[in-house]
Amino acid sequence: MAILPQFYIVLSAGVFCIGLFGILTRRNALFFLMSVELMLNAGNINLVAFSFYYGNLTGQVFSLFVIALAAAEVAIGIGIILVLYRNFEGIDVTEATAMRW
Amino acid sequence: MAWIYDYAPAIALFPLVSFLVSLFLGRYMPKKGALGGIVATGFSLAFSVWALVHLAGPAEPYHATLYTFVTGAGDAVTLTFGILLDPLSALMLVIVSLIAFLVHIFSLGYMNDEGETGLPRYYAGLGLFTFSMLAFVYADNLLMAFMFFELVGLCSYLLIGFWFREDAPPSAAKKAFLVTRFGDYFFLIGVVAVLGTFGTAAYAGEHSFIHMAEAALTGDGGDGVRTFLGMGEQAWFTVVGMLVLGGVIGKSAQFPLHTWLPDAMEGPTPVSALIHAATMVAAGVYLVARMYGFYALSPTALGVIALIGGFTALFAATMGVVKQELKQVLAYSTISQYGYMMLALGGGGYVAAVFHLTTHAVFKALLFLGAGSVIIAMHHNENMWDMGGLKDRMRITYLTFLSGSLALAGIVPFAGFWSKDEVLYETLVHGLGGRPLLLLGYAMGLIAVFFTGFYTFRMVFLTFHGEPRTDVAEDPEPVRWNVKFPLVVLGIGAAVVGFVNMGVLKNVIGDANLFLHEWLAGGVEGLNAHHYTEVLETVAGYHAAGLSPFVAGAASLGLAVVGVLAAYRLYAVPEPVPHLERLGSVRTVVMNNYYQDEYQVWLATGLTAPLARVADTFDQGVIDGVVNGISSVSLFAAGRFRRIQTGVVTNYAALLTLGLVVLLAFFAYVGGWI
Repeated sequence: MAILPQFYIVLSAGVFCIGLFGILTRRNALFFLMSVELMLNAGNINLVAFSFYYGNLTGQVFSLFVIALAAAEVAIGIGIILVLYRNFEGIDVTEATAMRW
Repeated sequence: MAWIYDYAPAIALFPLVSFLVSLFLGRYMPKKGALGGIVATGFSLAFSVWALVHLAGPAEPYHATLYTFVTGAGDAVTLTFGILLDPLSALMLVIVSLIAFLVHIFSLGYMNDEGETGLPRYYAGLGLFTFSMLAFVYADNLLMAFMFFELVGLCSYLLIGFWFREDAPPSAAKKAFLVTRFGDYFFLIGVVAVLGTFGTAAYAGEHSFIHMAEAALTGDGGDGVRTFLGMGEQAWFTVVGMLVLGGVIGKSAQFPLHTWLPDAMEGPTPVSALIHAATMVAAGVYLVARMYGFYALSPTALGVIALIGGFTALFAATMGVVKQELKQVLAYSTISQYGYMMLALGGGGYVAAVFHLTTHAVFKALLFLGAGSVIIAMHHNENMWDMGGLKDRMRITYLTFLSGSLALAGIVPFAGFWSKDEVLYETLVHGLGGRPLLLLGYAMGLIAVFFTGFYTFRMVFLTFHGEPRTDVAEDPEPVRWNVKFPLVVLGIGAAVVGFVNMGVLKNVIGDANLFLHEWLAGGVEGLNAHHYTEVLETVAGYHAAGLSPFVAGAASLGLAVVGVLAAYRLYAVPEPVPHLERLGSVRTVVMNNYYQDEYQVWLATGLTAPLARVADTFDQGVIDGVVNGISSVSLFAAGRFRRIQTGVVTNYAALLTLGLVVLLAFFAYVGGWI
């Protein structure tokens, strides 16, 4: 028996909320990055689930793109975190409050 | 011969060159710029006389545009510099350049021989002054005239304040500048009004504002005339005329803007001669004469001019009676005489006004230069009570001064008699011809004749007759040829200039021998005395009553003689006493110039200054307050809103989330899910 779509959606919403919670509560930039990944993957789950439900592959292909995009984003994010560390000797996001100093 | 017209602009440019030379090279020149000035004004005089002679022949008047500095596209106004040589301007050019020439020569004696410093500045000022006035005279449009009118005012400021290290001259210079500027504001508005109404400021030709105004009123043509404020054409023309008249009243020192002129005596005496006789003060009256075709269209404006003139003539003459300084008496006589010219213009006597302008230029320049000669002799003491007995010690000065005084007092056959009589006669006949208002002006002018005779000869007797009252008067400093030569030229002029227009003898010698009448009747179409007479009759309703000129002439001559005899009785004694002190409080009032200065100062400090302060408070408090209030509100609000921009990423994320939730809730509510 096939799993009903609402379960996927509940799972996706759960993962998204965990990511959101991480962004709102954590101060460590690495946790931020992970939380953003969680939220992206929640989106992926939705894409895959709906494409399975409608029986066409577009959503699944799209999720591959999103994964590639997420990888690129992580690369940039790590770069930013490195700069952050160099300038503030820490990776606490609440320290860097100005765009320029 | 006609090539003189091609060189006509040079008449004014010679003094301009002299100005530049004196300014930059005067220091290195033998007479500090005087020679250059004499040569330049001499050339101006020669060219002016030539132009006059040429115009007296069969030649046409000359009218040309020299330079266009703004070309208006389509209906827009085109602004030009041009030159108009007609009988009036040619006559005035000769007067101005003659007086300027003689004043330059006289300055050799008054300034160079007295060892004054700063002479290049002085001669540069004279050159610029002469240039401005000559250019003003031959201007062919009102805007150009206005520009040079202002330049004349600037030059008078520079020259009156020539001795700027003393206290009084700079203050007098400022006063002269500001008072005349006050009138010039109205003139400026008038120029703009003329341009706005007619689209042109030219004096002569089919498309001149004078011609257009006349066409609009007589009903043939007059397209393109726009009136403002919903007024009729004649009413609007009156308003425009009165605005321009503001500048005239300031420059020609008419009541109530006459107060600058007596103070202007602080300048060097040759400058006073120039200002009073030929430049500056003459500019106002000349302007009215120049655009007389416009004023002749408005009986109201003419009436105002006549009344201001008549009142000023009398008012200033009474003040001249009590003054103790030689130059002060002359200053008030100038105001009074220009009042006569205004009276003539308002009374329909265009030729009479120009005639009086001419004769006055000669005899007033003479009197001022004579006074300058006396001042040299008296070591710069101007008080007449310190003089006396100078007639035997300064023969030439006395005789020429006497000639000028007889002319000023209006004693036959000297120049002033013929012209002043004509002024009064014209006013009288037009007054009797249905303009009773003019009779009031005539009455004031007639009474002023008595005062004129009295103060003139009080001055002569106190200065030259009796016993010397001080050591300096006992042994005056001699003057040289450069003082005597201008005096002799002008002294002869003051005696004979009147013969060009012996109006009193009109019935004897015939109209054809009134040379000035004939002269001014010719010239540019629509811009001559003949035409003005027609316009005065048809538009302004001025009709000349039939009256023998002998009657009017006898009346004014009689009063003048009475004035002279009164002065003779009181002052032609070896030891004159100040009789006028018996007048008591009346004398005090007149001596203080009827408190004109006081009330004008009160107007400035007691009325205008508080008003300005209130306006300032309103501006600072209300207008600026509103602006400042708005900005401080936004500053405060921005300061508060800034606080949500913490820079902490978490907060932004929280706000984003919150916003999303709110949006979801909103759509949920609107969509009816909850």
